[in-house]
Parts: sequence; structure tokens; C-alpha cells
Amino acid sequence: MKFILPITLVVATVVLMGLGLMGYGQSRTALGIAEGSALPGLTPNPDTPDKALHNVLLELQRRNWDRAYADLSKTSGVDEQDFIERWRGMNGSLRSFSNLESFDTRPMHETSEEADYRVHLLWSTPVGPVQDVRDFHLTRVGNEWKVVWPKVTIPNVPAQVVPVNYLRWDLVTGTSGEEWGAHNIDAPHVRIISMNAVNTAEGTVIMGEAVNEDTVPAFVTVNATLVDGSGNTIDEESSFDKIDHVLLPKQVTPYRVDFPSTSLNKVKNVRMDIKATLVPASADPVIGVTNQKLETDAQGHAVLHGDLLNESGQTVNIPHVIASFYDNNGKVVWVSDGYVERALLPQGSEAFAVEIPKSVAGEVHNFHVVVNQYSLKS
Amino acid sequence: MRTATSYSRPIPLLAIVLVALAVHGPLLMMQLPANSFDTNFHIFFASHYVHHWFNPWNEKWFAGFSQTTYPPLTHQWIALLSNVVGLQMGYMLVQLIGVLLLPVGVYRFAKIWVDERSASYAALGSIFLGALAFLVYQAGQLATVCSAALYLNALPYFYDWMMQGSGRALLKGVVVSLTAAAAHHVTLIFGVVFFAGPVLWIACLDAKRERASASVGGVLGRAVVFGALVSGGVAIVLLPYWITILQHPIRQMPIPHDSRNNYLLHSMTAINYFVIPYGALILALPFIFLRGGSPRLRPLLVGFWLAFIFGLGGTTPLPRWLLGRAFEILTFERFAFWATLLAMPIVGALAVELLDRFQARGAVGLSLAAVGTLGAALAWLAVNPYRSTGATDVQPVIAFLNRDGHDAYRYITLGFGSELAKVSTYTDAGSVDGDYNSARLLPEMTKYGSAQLTNSKFYGAAGMDSLRAMLKHANRYGLKYIFVHDPYYEPLLTFVGWRKIETFDNGQITAWSEDDIVPAHRINSDAMPAPWEGIMWGILPIGVSVLAIFLELLLPTVREVVVPVEVPARVQGHYVA
Repeated sequence: MKFILPITLVVATVVLMGLGLMGYGQSRTALGIAEGSALPGLTPNPDTPDKALHNVLLELQRRNWDRAYADLSKTSGVDEQDFIERWRGMNGSLRSFSNLESFDTRPMHETSEEADYRVHLLWSTPVGPVQDVRDFHLTRVGNEWKVVWPKVTIPNVPAQVVPVNYLRWDLVTGTSGEEWGAHNIDAPHVRIISMNAVNTAEGTVIMGEAVNEDTVPAFVTVNATLVDGSGNTIDEESSFDKIDHVLLPKQVTPYRVDFPSTSLNKVKNVRMDIKATLVPASADPVIGVTNQKLETDAQGHAVLHGDLLNESGQTVNIPHVIASFYDNNGKVVWVSDGYVERALLPQGSEAFAVEIPKSVAGEVHNFHVVVNQYSLKS
Repeated sequence: MRTATSYSRPIPLLAIVLVALAVHGPLLMMQLPANSFDTNFHIFFASHYVHHWFNPWNEKWFAGFSQTTYPPLTHQWIALLSNVVGLQMGYMLVQLIGVLLLPVGVYRFAKIWVDERSASYAALGSIFLGALAFLVYQAGQLATVCSAALYLNALPYFYDWMMQGSGRALLKGVVVSLTAAAAHHVTLIFGVVFFAGPVLWIACLDAKRERASASVGGVLGRAVVFGALVSGGVAIVLLPYWITILQHPIRQMPIPHDSRNNYLLHSMTAINYFVIPYGALILALPFIFLRGGSPRLRPLLVGFWLAFIFGLGGTTPLPRWLLGRAFEILTFERFAFWATLLAMPIVGALAVELLDRFQARGAVGLSLAAVGTLGAALAWLAVNPYRSTGATDVQPVIAFLNRDGHDAYRYITLGFGSELAKVSTYTDAGSVDGDYNSARLLPEMTKYGSAQLTNSKFYGAAGMDSLRAMLKHANRYGLKYIFVHDPYYEPLLTFVGWRKIETFDNGQITAWSEDDIVPAHRINSDAMPAPWEGIMWGILPIGVSVLAIFLELLLPTVREVVVPVEVPARVQGHYVA
């Protein structure tokens, strides 16, 4: 009698823990904090390709590099340092700021000895969530499946001298207490040269282009205010990161202002406002855009592909591509943007891709790409 | 023989309190909890009461929020003491009082279940609990510790009232319970199940065995009276809190917390939330379950087991099943603390058995276990992966905000962790961020499943979306300054049009600004408490605590219920005292 209650409670505890291991009561966890691994014996045995891939991705998500590397096939041509660097990112790239938030594995091809999986990876980054699709090859080793991690060879470029002779504008002030923009002189002349409002499933989108007509650099922000039939303000938003804020003389930038959950049908008028401040700026680094082509990818999305070429001598850690798309009449019908995961090394190139909605893809006749950038040294 | 005699006596309560003072006093006077997660939060709340005792509307966080969302007692005591010793030391003193009250509460609570000697060892052991060190020095859960200590002190009165019908016990029990609620309402709510439930159960068993002055029905009737008085009292004392919570129930998206993980699948979480809080008690678990099966200890064992299971967070699905949506709001480290408190009477009995059987060797073993548990929890402060990466000198940030009219605008910090509250305490400027999830009403924060903006990156896409939403509406809130202590956020600020304007602390902190932001204006909110609520809030919680002190001093306990406690037959022969 004395032992019935203790035994009952112990058994209940074990049963409840078993249910917990089966996935009942799971919760979201914070990212970027070492959570450790499952206790010994509780990691699923990789007796299927899916479990093996899941184990590796889970360890990578938790940044348990040693355990993830140990789960790879011995036939993988990659050493641990390369494996970690390729996954974690290098040179202050966007990937090096990213955390793997979630993943979804789907089999593409599977036999008793080999398997190919496509994985949708969702990364959390400082500039917003980034989705990535990556294919994995797995092979059977005895009773277990292992991920084969291919070795990626990075060309070893010899050191070279790159002349820096681009224009640079510095701001000279008489006072030391001045803030970053100069307020005691006339603002640079900037102008919105086109504007188009469209209704999308996500809400109203205002887009167009702005130009710096001055002979000095300008820091610009575009604001839009939606007004209803009674003259009341419905909402007010800014171009946020859908614009190249620093415009050199005569430079044009696309802009896009999103109004989520606001239908264009309610809007009678749109008030546009462009603000400019004189700022110091440099034409360096110069990033060229090559091999641009509009294609439909394997998933049926219309995507603008191309390559970015860093023509300067400094590393561009996070390139940001903003593209405006025009119809036959030269009207801006869409503005898309995307961040490149890998850093642009001096004289190096990286591919980029920005997506455009299907509904707009048919109208696109031409496009223009500008590249914004973040460099750790700046 | 002399050794056996000394081990056979109960340890005097005064000696236990002095041990608590000797162990925790120096640690608190060294301000060890200063870098804990919640210390700055509590000091921030207290600082508001220093300046606005009768106005709980605080404009420094979330563009305005009501402090009636958190019971005020500990903060108000810090505010009072701060007039003499300053805010930081005021916090340490209030925490010390809570820590000193805890062994007294454990001693008195344990005497309901075990003999006086075991109770004294339970109280002594409670000083060295890993869970206590975890809450005090790592989590900074001042209110939880103080409320638990007060609640443990109230429960013996509850028991005495049920057993004897003593009006004095009823009065003191109700007032001390109200004081516990004024310190931390959650402790009282869950305490009803984990602590008061077993006490009611044992009182009914004692009545059945004719050890009480009433029948089982009479005991239950007295319990109803006690419960009604406490419920009514809590409703009145914390009325502004209930008004606020009814007006703005917590409907925000769930925010992840590691204490909700499955500890079996996250070894680091298991160390932090299980190994460190329980320490050497893990070795005692078999004994707790076995001895808890004895008839008298069964209610306590059930209470312990429930708190233990809750303390395992998401390791079992039971908390989620029983709590529903509240599971995603609560954090579970406090349940482990309560579980250890509930285990202490049984552990006290274990200590007595070990001492009787092994004498000096037993004493050495127990001492090592106790000191090892506390020492491990303190060492964990320096090596746990959740700790802040280094002390941040926030003085330049405070100085920046307090000069040249910068406080006309709002600000946020990024990568400051709990130091955000320290900045807020000493600057006049307001922030749209804040370190208290339950008070948030701005849609930019409640729509996303993340907590503080300053910690956005730890909440993944949800956190960064929340931060982006706030940055998009910077002009709406007069948000002009951002202080960055983590380069992670710099790319975002660069791309969305913020510019670096100053660096502090050798580049450790950078200040960013956006042009053309209009000065902050007051954001109207229906959450603003009425003036009469502010007056109630400023009088009743502190009032019941003062009343409790007077009752303890003026109405000493005349007699206690003496309940025969079953002693293990094997060790009876060793008793000499």
C-alpha cells in the first residue's frame, strides 16, 4: 500500500516523458543560444534517408558542428573547417549573420542504396527571413544512411593591386557637433520621376523611381500617404529598404512602398514625399551587373537572374539588389529586391536572383538593376 | 556520544536564519544578482514608484504602459529603501529579506509534515537550494522568491485555523497571504494547487484521525472561509491589476522560452533548468518518492510531483494539457523552485536518517551536497550559455539621452539584453521597447511571437519582423535614436536608412539616428489607470505588508498544533533529545 502511490507517480512520469519524446507538447525555441543536443540514445537512428538528413540539419541548426560533421558520409570530400565555413558563411556575408530557423525535407529520388532530397531552408537574417532551396545526396552505409557533402573548391586568387580612383564627396563642417546629415545648407535636388500604384493580394503597393538631379550626393527617403475620398489619411509608410538611400549625382533608384492590408479601392489620392539630405559618399565600391536574364525557375516562378561583379578593391559584405521592371511604355510595373547571401570579394562575382509576381511577369518588357551594399568597414 | 547528541537536536531557527544571512548576505551585498535577467527590470519598476508613487502609468516603456500589470509590493519596498541606500542596494536588501524569510517559511511549513528536528534540517537545506540560487542570482526573480517565502509562512496559519479554529491564525494567515499576493500573484494562484491543496488534504486526514478540533466537514468549512477571505482580499488589494488584465487580456503571439523545451532533447536546457536547480536533490529523488508514500506525506508527495512535472517544462505534455494557452505565457523555472520547496520536509527527514545512521560522516556528506549544490549554481553563472556576453557600460548612452534635448525623442536599444532596463531607469527619454512582455500593447510587438526588441535576433524571423515593423513606424512614435551593442543589427539599420552618428565605449556601442523624425508625443491608451486606481495601488499592497509585520510582532503565536509524526522505526532508537 505504501508503495502504490510512489510507483504510480514514477510510472506516470515515465509515460509522460515518453509522450513528450513522441512530440506531444513541443514548443518553439529561441535561436542562436546553445541548447545542446538530445541525451544519448534519444537521437533517432538514421535508418532512413529522411532521419539521417533530419539529424544532420538539426545539429547544424543548433550549431553543433562536430556532431553534424560526424554524421556525414566518409566519402564526403569536405574537411570539417570547410564544411563549417560553407554553412556558417565567411567574410561577414549575410549567411554569417543568419540562423537556420526551420527546414522541410522532400524526397526527389530514392533507391535502396542512394537517395536525393530537396530541402527548403528558412533562414532568419538581419534583413528579414530568407528562403533557400538546397539538394542533398545520401548514401547507405551498412544499416545507416549518411549525407554526402560535396567539396566546393574556392579559387585561390593571387594578391593584386586595385587602384582606387573613384569619386568621393566629403562633408566639411565648421562645427564638431553636427550630426551625420548637413542641415544648415540647401538639401540636394531630388525628384520622383515616376510613380505607379497597384493593388495586390497583400495590399496596395506604390512604386516608381527617383533621381538625384544635383551635383552632390543625397540621402533620400520616399514616403507615401494614402488618402480616402473624405480627405482622411488611411495610412502612411516609407520606402524602408526598398530603395537605394544614398544617391550619387544623377543616379536613379527604384523605390517601393508597401501598404499591407490596405486595398487600393479605398484610396482616392496618394501623397508622395521625397526627403533628401546632403551626405558624404563615395562611388567606391563599384559593382557591375552582368548576364541579366528573366527566366522561369523549376518551381514556375518568374525570376530575374544575373551576376554581380565587384570591380573595386574592398569586400562588399552584403550586396542588395533592387530591380525595377518596365512595360512596353516604360512605366514601372514592379520593383523587386533581394539580398545576396555570400560576400562579394574584390574582383569577385556572385550570382543573384530576384523574383517577380506571376501576374506582372507577362507585362515586363525591360528592367533596370541597381545594387546597394553594406560593408563592415563603412 | 556528544556528536550524536548534538545531531539529535533540532537546529534553532535563529541559527538557521543566521546561516542564511552568512551565506547569502555577502553575495547580495556584493550585488551578485546585478547582472541577472530580471534585476534591472525590478529596479526600473521601483524607480518609477520613487517618482510617481500614486501614478502607475509609466511612459518610459512601450510608449506608455501601466505598472498595475505587475504586483507592486517588492518594487515599492525597494523604492522606500532606495531613499536611504539607493535603488541597487534597495533591491539587494529586499531580496535578502526574501531569502531570510524563506528558511523560516520552510521550517514552519515542514513542521506540518515532519517532526521539528527534520523541519529544522529542511529549513537549513533550503538555504543551499540550487533553485533558490538560480532564481536569485541568475534569473533575478525577486517577486517569486519573496512571494514563495511569504506564502510558506502563511500556510501554517491556514493549517492552524483549519485544525483549531483560531481567529488569530485566521487573521495572520489571511494578511500574510495577501502580502504574498501583493508580491507575486502567480505564486499565490499556483500555490493554491501545489501548496495549499496538500495542506488542506492533510488537515482533512488529521480531522479524520480526530486530531483536529473539528470534523472533516468543519475543516473544509474553515478552509472555505479562509479561501473566501483571501480571494476577496486579493481581489481588493490587487483590484487595479484585475481591471487591467480584464481590459487587456494577454492575447499576444506566444514568445519562445527555453524552459518550455523538452529537456531530454536539449542537454543545455536540461542543465540550466533541471540539474542546476535540483543539484544534489536529484540523488534524493528516490527517497522523496519512497518516503512520500507514507500516509502522512502522501499529499505533499502529490504536490511535489505536480510541481516537479511542471518544472520539467515541455519534457512532458502535462503542463500544456492542463494550462492550455497559458503554457505559452508562463516560464517554468519557478515550478522547479516550488518543487524543491515542497520536497524539503521529506529531505529534512532524509537528513535526520543519514545523521542518525552515519553521524559525522553523514554530516560531512550532507554538507558537501548542500555546498556543492549552491556552489554549482553560482559557478553556472559564469559559464552558462544564457549569460550576457559581458558587462556593458551604458553610462554614455544614458548621458547621450539626457543631454541636448535628445529625450524629446524615443529610443530603442539592440543587443543590450537586460541592460535596457538600466538605461531606462536613469534616463528621462522614453522607449518603444521594454523588458516586460505582459504590458505590451503596441501592435508592432504583440503581432509577432517575439519578446523585447533589444533581443530580436533570438526570436528569429518573428523577432526581426517585429523590429522591422517598429522601424517602419519610427516617425509615428518619435523613435529617433537606436543604440546598438551587437553588429548583427547594423546591416538592417544601414539598408533601411539609419545612419551611425556616435560610438561609445571604444566602439562597443554605436548610436544610430534617422533624419526627419518628429519629437515624441503622448500616445493615448485606454490602458491608462484611473487616478483612484493609482491611489489604491499606492496604499493597499504596501499597507497589507505593514499590517502583516505588525500582526507578527503584536500577535505572537500562542500555541501550535502538535501532530504526532511517524518516525521510521529503524532510526527511532537513535533519538536521545
